[in-house]
Amino acid sequence: MKKEPLVQVSKLFKSYRKVQALREFSLFVKPGMIFSLLGPNGAGKTTLMKILLGIVKYDSGTVHILNLPVSSPLSRRGVRYLPEYITFPSWATPKVLMRQLERIRHESSMHDFIHRCTELDCVDLMNRPMGKMSRGQKQRVALSLVTTGQPALVLLDEPSTGLDPGGRIMVRNLIKGLASNGSTVLINSHLLGEVELVCDTAAFINKGRLIAEGGIDSLSKQTGLAFVETEQTAEMHKALENAGYSCRTEDKGVLIQLAAPSAFRKFNEIVLTTGIVFTALSLKRESLEDVFLRIMEHSNVEDDIVS
Amino acid sequence: MFLNGIEQLLRRKIVLTAFIATVVFLGFYWWGVSAASSVEFDLGNDSDAPVMSMLGPADAALAAIITAGPLAATLLTALIIVIGSTMLPEEIGQGRMPFWLSLPQSRLKVFLSTSLAPLAVSFALSVILFAGIFIITRIYFPFSPRSIPLVLISMLIWLAAVWASVTLLSLIVKKVASMLITFFLAAVASMFGGIYEIMQMFPGDAPDALVTVTRVIMYVFPADRGYRGVIYGLIPKEAVITENLAFFGVTANVPPVHLIYAVCWSIVLLGLCYWKFRSMDF
Repeated sequence: MKKEPLVQVSKLFKSYRKVQALREFSLFVKPGMIFSLLGPNGAGKTTLMKILLGIVKYDSGTVHILNLPVSSPLSRRGVRYLPEYITFPSWATPKVLMRQLERIRHESSMHDFIHRCTELDCVDLMNRPMGKMSRGQKQRVALSLVTTGQPALVLLDEPSTGLDPGGRIMVRNLIKGLASNGSTVLINSHLLGEVELVCDTAAFINKGRLIAEGGIDSLSKQTGLAFVETEQTAEMHKALENAGYSCRTEDKGVLIQLAAPSAFRKFNEIVLTTGIVFTALSLKRESLEDVFLRIMEHSNVEDDIVS
Repeated sequence: MFLNGIEQLLRRKIVLTAFIATVVFLGFYWWGVSAASSVEFDLGNDSDAPVMSMLGPADAALAAIITAGPLAATLLTALIIVIGSTMLPEEIGQGRMPFWLSLPQSRLKVFLSTSLAPLAVSFALSVILFAGIFIITRIYFPFSPRSIPLVLISMLIWLAAVWASVTLLSLIVKKVASMLITFFLAAVASMFGGIYEIMQMFPGDAPDALVTVTRVIMYVFPADRGYRGVIYGLIPKEAVITENLAFFGVTANVPPVHLIYAVCWSIVLLGLCYWKFRSMDF
């Protein structure tokens, strides 16, 4: 059965006085996706998130969540949001904050919250005032507060802010766990390495316009860089240079620049003819960072031509 | 959300300070009234004796209440101005407003429950303070107040007018500026409120310009009418001193139309506050 989009944004326009924040922006997000909004600072990502939550008003277009217009408070049932900047009252403990939230949303129990805190390794902070926590601890508590229970849609604005590497891994696992339980996760983050590891779909936004959207795999191109994994790096380097390739020795192998990705088949044969033992041979794809830079550069060039 | 706002306010040092100040104030008041109750007055000049002999406990109660009233009013005005001017701006400034608005509740509900908390806390403290004054006075100088319902209604009207104006100003100008402007308005309204009472004693004697200015100020900032209603409702029915009370800042009566106007004025300001809040992007 075809899944109905959870988030439907169509021909959305939003301006702040003379600044056009979003221009003819359309986006559809299906349930269960881990979707990332990518773009430079001021691209309109946070504005879009806030419009989805009814926090920011838009000029024209249609915005629906679960088929309800975002102007209706009902559209926010089961929707959770973690803003990039939030300061909880310094006296409040996580338990108090959870109680305050549930007075309004009535969606999850203290037991669910304790479970989530355990998952994010902050259960020992339950009775500690927020003012006496480190930035990372506060972020773990905040993430626990917004992801407790079974939310339908979770919007996370820079969720890994202030977290140590262990914390980031926990957040990645949390996001994957939410999606596997049927939640849709919309992430706004500049940590492209993190996004690449967790998201399956991304939308690139620049100057308020949607410039590319799709699966992360389909967006990244073959780079033309090949990598031969071998313990005999010096021998492999020499043999490939003799074959006319430009090489660079790395820790566990040799990196080769091919003329084009299509030259990989011929290169494969040449590596075999060297007779040197190798454990892997791969054609490298663009990282999300490479994709981001390529798409943004292309978008800026197009804008320059138009102007 | 309203309970969250109350919980948030009760944790604030300013509210704790106001509560301690109320207790200390009532303590001093108790001490003063109890001391006064045991004093035997030296009547001195014999010609004053008949007048003095007419005075009863209710007149002493009147004197005590009209002395304590302005002091209590100052404390409460300061409290509502400080907490009223910080509640919404703090929730906005600390980044919590987007968080509250992202929950399944309407913007009107978020606005009302957040901004009503300072009014509720101030009203509660006001009831404690004036009830304390009433009870302590009555213990030493038995009397019957003119109208307890009027006291409560007027109290709410008085605080609501100050609260509505400081809340609106806090969304327009900076926090400190909103406090100072409201303090200024409250002080000016109080002064002209007293002048209005005196003018009521001498109808037609006041210069036209003064009458006009006084009326304009009463229309622009009607909080003082509520405060006068509190004092008027609290003072003893049995007091012999019933004339020239205006000199003590006590109204001869509070026309209901003045109170109704203050209510309407507060509702209009609250509507403007919401209109401003509704148009804000967080």
